[in-house]
Amino acid sequence: MASRQLRLIVNGEEHSVPCVDSETLLTVLRERLQLTGTKLGCGRGECGACTVLVDGRLAYSCLTLAAGCESTPITTVEGLGSAQALHPLQQAFIEHDALQCGFCTPGQLMAGVALLRDTAHPTPTQIRVAMSGNLCRCGTYAAIERAICAVAERSA
Amino acid sequence: MSRRFVATKVEVEGREEIKIVERPDLEPAPWDEHAALSVVGQRVPRVDAPEKVTGQARYTADVQRPAMLHAEFVRARVASGKVTRLDCSRALALPGVRGVITAEDVQTISHQGAPLFDTTIHWAGQPIAALCADTPDIARHACALVEVDIETSPHAVTIEDALGPSAPAVRPSGNTPKGQPRIASRGDAPAARAAADVVVTREYRTPCVLHTAIETHGAAAEWTGDALTVWESTQGIFQVRKDVARAFKLPLNRVRVVKDYMGGGFGAKNYAAAHTYAAVALARKLGRPVRCLVDREGEQTDTGNRPATRCHVTLGARRDGTLVSIECDATIAYGYSGWLASPAKIFHELYECPNVHTSETFVFLNAGAMDSFRAPGHTEGAFALECAMDALARELGIDPLDLRRRNYAPADQEKRRPYSAKHLDRCYAEGAERFGWTQRRVDAAESREHARRLRRGVGMASQIWPAGGGPPAYATVRINPDGTVDVLTGTQDLGTGSRTVFAQIAAESLGARLTDVRTVLGDTERTPYAGNSWGSMTTASVGPAVRVAALQARARVLEAAAELLESDVAQLELSESSVRVRDGDRSMTLAQIGRKLGDVMIIGEGSRGANPQDTAISAFAAQFAEVEVDVETGIVRVLHVTSAHDSGRIINPTLAESQLVGGIIQGLGYAVFEERVLDVATGRHLNPNTHDYKIPTIADIPVIDAFFVQSADPVANHTGARGVAEAPIIPTAPAIANAVADALGVEIAEIPLTPWRVLDALTGR
Repeated sequence: MASRQLRLIVNGEEHSVPCVDSETLLTVLRERLQLTGTKLGCGRGECGACTVLVDGRLAYSCLTLAAGCESTPITTVEGLGSAQALHPLQQAFIEHDALQCGFCTPGQLMAGVALLRDTAHPTPTQIRVAMSGNLCRCGTYAAIERAICAVAERSA
Repeated sequence: MSRRFVATKVEVEGREEIKIVERPDLEPAPWDEHAALSVVGQRVPRVDAPEKVTGQARYTADVQRPAMLHAEFVRARVASGKVTRLDCSRALALPGVRGVITAEDVQTISHQGAPLFDTTIHWAGQPIAALCADTPDIARHACALVEVDIETSPHAVTIEDALGPSAPAVRPSGNTPKGQPRIASRGDAPAARAAADVVVTREYRTPCVLHTAIETHGAAAEWTGDALTVWESTQGIFQVRKDVARAFKLPLNRVRVVKDYMGGGFGAKNYAAAHTYAAVALARKLGRPVRCLVDREGEQTDTGNRPATRCHVTLGARRDGTLVSIECDATIAYGYSGWLASPAKIFHELYECPNVHTSETFVFLNAGAMDSFRAPGHTEGAFALECAMDALARELGIDPLDLRRRNYAPADQEKRRPYSAKHLDRCYAEGAERFGWTQRRVDAAESREHARRLRRGVGMASQIWPAGGGPPAYATVRINPDGTVDVLTGTQDLGTGSRTVFAQIAAESLGARLTDVRTVLGDTERTPYAGNSWGSMTTASVGPAVRVAALQARARVLEAAAELLESDVAQLELSESSVRVRDGDRSMTLAQIGRKLGDVMIIGEGSRGANPQDTAISAFAAQFAEVEVDVETGIVRVLHVTSAHDSGRIINPTLAESQLVGGIIQGLGYAVFEERVLDVATGRHLNPNTHDYKIPTIADIPVIDAFFVQSADPVANHTGARGVAEAPIIPTAPAIANAVADALGVEIAEIPLTPWRVLDALTGR
């Protein structure tokens, strides 16, 4: 399989990474760029653990070919905020205990951030529709809903 | 002088084990309900949440080692047979493929009850070989190039097929363990039934369900000389160390097992398995680190399950509702192996009744092995028992809650011993109050009078689960020269919050600020032993050891402070990381003491003492559910669940309530959606993914009000805490099924309550 250099813009940083055409964005993020916050849960676009933003749009990175993301801005959980400067939704997840094992959390955060960006004050139904592509087996859903509502309430 | 090492009974997931325990040097007075505690009991945020929300938390799959290779499995696609040809030559010729292991590389190692990579096939999905390559993609591609011929033989994937007259031998020793059912009995149930005023007999079925942790099983292995490090997503680092050392004939001090973060376990991640052994064996064979992550299909097929059951239940009662006989004949569809988790046990425990008889037939099948899944046995049994109790209540015309209260068991009748504490009565009262049981029943009944299509109903169920924890468990507390504190213990945090609660217990016991305390766990080389995180055991097992270690460190630092402050230890108090002389203004912070002492390290060591003997230590709960059923589509929507729990002292209510909510949501999946489907003709798993195997999503969850009744349990152990995690899943399915029965006026005999099952129930099929 032919390998080539791919220009990726991840969290505002430019990278040139070797990539095989058949490789997914998830593989390149995790195995080449060591951005392991984005998780592999199913590899079939079912669980949402691999959710990232590609050109501002939500994408399951396990179903997205890396080669198709050439020069396109990509945001992963590492680009949301840091422990010193958390994104408001990250802060709200902590305050509302919207995580247990934490494995699905990066994907949940990306989906939640995209929702709040498009809909500043989502209704409960809008939250449930927007977040239903992200599975959590620990059962943190109610807290996730509260965390999203809390951020929405804080934004005037 | 009493002996230092004594034998004691410890209950693990309903199994009783005798363990030798070393008595701690110190058994402090218990924190009873009057104990003045300032950190324990507080709703502090999860200490590792910042790592988790920023993507910095390292899970096993995130481990990267220099020159690391990746392994994938070749799996059998038939349920029974014999491998006649296994040709890896095309796979090995693929660029980037580094090696293969098959049965001959791993002789004497077993996986799910069979030799690893066995050439005799016992279930579809059984691993046959593992390929190792530069990337997971190449390894997967290579697996597809392996040529396998299997001579198939007849299989059995249903109880009927495995017990029929021409059943194939799933296991050479027979298709049931020891060829006979397991019987447990007290009193004379058939005689009592014959004399009962009312008898109800029902049959219930529960499905085989899958843990479906979002992080699949996985391990990475690296050899350094004759020493081995294994990173593993596990609920038991010391168990994996033992398994790996035994499998590869290594001394224990040459094996290090690390689990920093893990993406869910729920009972399926208690031992080393094929992925662990494949990573270790390939790393040894190829001289490079190897990571082996089970893919989703393998996860759903070959890493354990909650077995399907069929329970035939007969309850006998007097006209006033007093139970006189309880009988259960259970058949458990087992898979190729597993341990005998008992659905019948709860029939002996939940209600007072002098006459109980249960029989359990475990049936081996050509299917993936059973493994512990959150409250194994009780969850299956509770569905049958608690649905039958509602059937009895209807027969008698008694409120289901009143019927349960009438048969309240004040003591453990099965083993004739008291409970350390039992507040199920308060769970009934406070749960019913918060749910509005009486009014909601009336409202639901009234709404049904004019609702043609959407019918509301309410139901309830209760539960009991062994939750005492026990020895052995150890902890070390170190005070560093800057006044910070390390708590080291070889337990695991599965997402349960153990990092947080042990920091709270240590801060409370030592008198340190919580922000100064860090918990280090999940590493066999850095921490002293603690057992598997199973059986709702971790807090009650490890918490007392942490408390003793912190108290010992506290005593030592106070001795140092007495010298530095020219005072007497008895005159000193330590709180908020500061030592003060009573009746004076002199004080020193732990950091100031540390600076004076230099590199002197204050170390406290603690261990878990024995449980009180001949005492039952259990968690109790009462759960209430309201549902809405669409009688045209058969769709069940769960609207509201109230769950009242007694688990003794709660170290951190926020984290504990999160576990309750999580258990209820898993129980909801069990009740309404989840079911492994095997093709009877081929034995293959038809829904080994998260699309066709439905776990609840955010769109499915009801309003959940889960809480603890306030209590402390100074008899159970000196922290007063009992287990939390498994209790909430046990009563959910029967509470929901009873609510659906209330809504429809038709009894429910089988879960999950998928639309077609609901419609069948309505049409009497």
